[in-house]
Amino acid sequence: MPDALLEKLRTAVGPANVLTGIQLSPYVVEGRTPEAAVFPGSIEEVAAVMALACEVGRSVTPWGGGTAASVGMPTAGAGLIMGLRRMARLLDHEPGDLTATVEAGMTVEAFQTTLRRRGQWLSLDPADADRASVGGVIATNAYGPRRHLYGTARDLLIGVTVVTADGSVVKGGGKVVKNVAGYDLPKLFIGSYGTLGVIVEATVKLRPLAEHEELVCVRFDRLKDAGAAVKAVAASDLIPNAVELLDATAAAGARLVAGATGSSTPPSAALVVGFDGVREQVEWQRAELARLTGPLGGRDVRQLDAAAWPRLGPAAPAAFATPAAVMTLAVLPTQVAEIMEQGAGIARGRGLQSAWAAHAGVGVMRSALGSDPAPQDPGAIAAVLTEWREIAHAGGGHANLESAPLAVKSQVPVWDDPGAAGRIMERIKAQLDPRNILNPGRFVAGI
Amino acid sequence: MPNLTDSRKLELRRELETLVGRGAVLSDPDELMVYESDGLTLFRALADFIVFPTSAQQVSAVVKLANRENLPFVARGAGTGLSGGCLPAEGGVVISLMRMNKVLEVDYENQIAVVEPGLVNLHLSWKVGPRGYYYAPDPSSQQACTIGGNIANNSGGPHTLKYGVTTNHVLGLEVVMPDGEIVWLGGKTREACGYDLAGVFVGSEGTFGIATRIVVRILRKPQAVKTVLAVFDAIDQASAAVSAIIARGLVPAAMEMIDHLTIQAVEDAFNCGYPRDADAALLIELDGLAVGMDVQAEHIVAACRESGAREVRTARTEAERQLLWKGRKSAFGAYGRVSPAYMVMDGVIPRTKLPYVLRRVNEIVAASGLRVGNVFHAGDGNLHPNILYDPRKPGEEARVVAAGAEIMKVCADVGGSISGEHGIGLEKADFMPFIFSVADLSLMQRLKNAFNPRGLCNPGKVFPTKKSCVEVGPVAYRPHAIEEKGLAQRF
Repeated sequence: MPDALLEKLRTAVGPANVLTGIQLSPYVVEGRTPEAAVFPGSIEEVAAVMALACEVGRSVTPWGGGTAASVGMPTAGAGLIMGLRRMARLLDHEPGDLTATVEAGMTVEAFQTTLRRRGQWLSLDPADADRASVGGVIATNAYGPRRHLYGTARDLLIGVTVVTADGSVVKGGGKVVKNVAGYDLPKLFIGSYGTLGVIVEATVKLRPLAEHEELVCVRFDRLKDAGAAVKAVAASDLIPNAVELLDATAAAGARLVAGATGSSTPPSAALVVGFDGVREQVEWQRAELARLTGPLGGRDVRQLDAAAWPRLGPAAPAAFATPAAVMTLAVLPTQVAEIMEQGAGIARGRGLQSAWAAHAGVGVMRSALGSDPAPQDPGAIAAVLTEWREIAHAGGGHANLESAPLAVKSQVPVWDDPGAAGRIMERIKAQLDPRNILNPGRFVAGI
Repeated sequence: MPNLTDSRKLELRRELETLVGRGAVLSDPDELMVYESDGLTLFRALADFIVFPTSAQQVSAVVKLANRENLPFVARGAGTGLSGGCLPAEGGVVISLMRMNKVLEVDYENQIAVVEPGLVNLHLSWKVGPRGYYYAPDPSSQQACTIGGNIANNSGGPHTLKYGVTTNHVLGLEVVMPDGEIVWLGGKTREACGYDLAGVFVGSEGTFGIATRIVVRILRKPQAVKTVLAVFDAIDQASAAVSAIIARGLVPAAMEMIDHLTIQAVEDAFNCGYPRDADAALLIELDGLAVGMDVQAEHIVAACRESGAREVRTARTEAERQLLWKGRKSAFGAYGRVSPAYMVMDGVIPRTKLPYVLRRVNEIVAASGLRVGNVFHAGDGNLHPNILYDPRKPGEEARVVAAGAEIMKVCADVGGSISGEHGIGLEKADFMPFIFSVADLSLMQRLKNAFNPRGLCNPGKVFPTKKSCVEVGPVAYRPHAIEEKGLAQRF
């Protein structure tokens, strides 16, 4: 990077907040080292850095906690990392309004801790909450098991402030829970992977903390029966906040089985259901769950420790020391168990192990391919992933490759083909980032 | 807009008839007048043609013809909108979706339905009701309004407090783009691929294209419902009760406020059982599991009493509950008994600002020498001041419009919004600068360019007319640009 540009960046954000050389090692993605990492402390500083990058044509990668840094294709040029960690303040929380405004760099956990002290929470529970930033969670549309009842960022984000590629500061939405004035810009930025702007502030809807919450595990000898139980729960009066289906391998990965490794208990699928509300509601639902699932082959109905919650989302990749690849599939809820069985069969057919865990009630699942004992041939991995994608598509669903070695990513597209809608996406990108400097090449349709 | 000669108009009519069939095109001025306004009768504008397609292919063919002729076009549902959003502001073609009103598919196990845009909102709940399901968004006009219209405005309703607005219930849409191409945005599964175009499309007020198929979520009907009426001698107490309920960690399914003037109008019209001498009443509904419902209802009752409610009662029968809701949902009609006309506002404020803003609303309207009735979604902070007036009295309408603008300014100044569920349309376009900067509006314009680069799809809506863009201060009545051009009139 030219010294003159480095000097300008240092002037914009302060010399201590510009990293170069060896300091950049935490920001190396897929073997690519950025030219510099800058950490602005205010919206104005973000805007100044963006304007500079735009002027000199450097690409910019917005960076929160780095928990999803390797998702997508590596960006075309090295460019700048725009780190948001210094922008981590809670700006506004009026409990009576059930809303809060936060800077994008605040971690989810820090945010939740503050809210909990006031009896409220953001009903979004992504993995790695201690590192994941609020802005990053929005940009990557991250979620957890409680999305079953409470939805995802699109149901909770009511306002967003973004610095666009030309360095302008733009607000969308507002601070009120119901608002149809103007286009729904918050939706545009959710899941946009930093390709349309740098999210700097977010206003979200909150919920009061429930009086009581429980996580209940029911085990099944056959995944198919657990799948039938998911349907029974959906058709019942129960109002669970999570409905998770894990195959035996993922159940072990999430350590839901007592004594996990080396246990003499035979492997089994697990249906894990969360309930919240007043105590008697939770207790009634737990009993009702046992009544519903018993005839379907459910057994060992028991409560799990609250510490099991954050292990559910990452259960599939956690089943392997170093998963060879992780894929996210979205299908109709009723297809989940069948696709899990099919998918595991495809992997076995190529001599590979797999683990499957689903937010079954909403039809969103993750599958991981094992790499034990030795690193596998990329060709075999790619073949399995391709077939997984095909079974998702056959049912009208989607599949995205969440993580895999570059050698695999070069054979299997990371993102689904968005079809005709991809052209609209390209036009949006061209309108908002005409010089293509925000995370170029990382996203869907080559955006 | 091209000024069509009579002979050219006749040719185009013939061509439209080949696309959508004879009996599916109107161009006679008397017939066009039926479509000259929506639920907001302040604005009227005439189209050149109204067409009634029955398929996405027909919609696409009409849109392509409009593009070829450089004619503006706009989709229309039941015409119950309240912001002038479906008016043919610059002439051209109105594409009525009323003949595309089928439920195409219901998948109960996956809790989704695929519907056509002209389907009346309530008809979907009727269709799936016998199996124990319903469609949650429930605008007060749900007996007439269409799901396509709900998509355009991202409509809400009383129960959105707990269940969210239209966008929270839409998974995907088949859309005829402004150039005529048919494209799916989202689908039946939860995660779409790439940008959330379905999310961006909902609430775009018909400026991004025309939805021709819609995938919506249907929900299981709750096991139990409890409806509570709390009666107050002072409206401030009712506002305080809303905050007290939220402070207790309760999220009712709905929490509606009805003020003195509205109670009287409703009682005159329907005799729903609201005490006529009350200054305000809160209609609060809880739903969910039967177990625990009584405990939660007790919390609600206690919160209302502590805030000064003089009476709190629970509907004992379904008939009693329906009657209370009838009072709420028929309030707009009931104003007809106390005033020849009214204009409904749609501001949103942070809930904690309710007492202050309601006082300001009453002061502003009183200072204009007018009366106001308030009936609104208190739990969401979504106000609906209804300013009553007589359009036959000279100058009164201009005072209504000016008072409305002042109310919107108050909402904006406390950190709120100028529209919670009715949309910007024509009516509020010039007030967008109250809450959005030039940069904000510029980004929205660029987003619009990505969908609707030629601007033929529902022109003249959402964005402020050029000269008002920089002018934020004064709120006095000023003719909209299309009025000045003589393309529409205020009545």
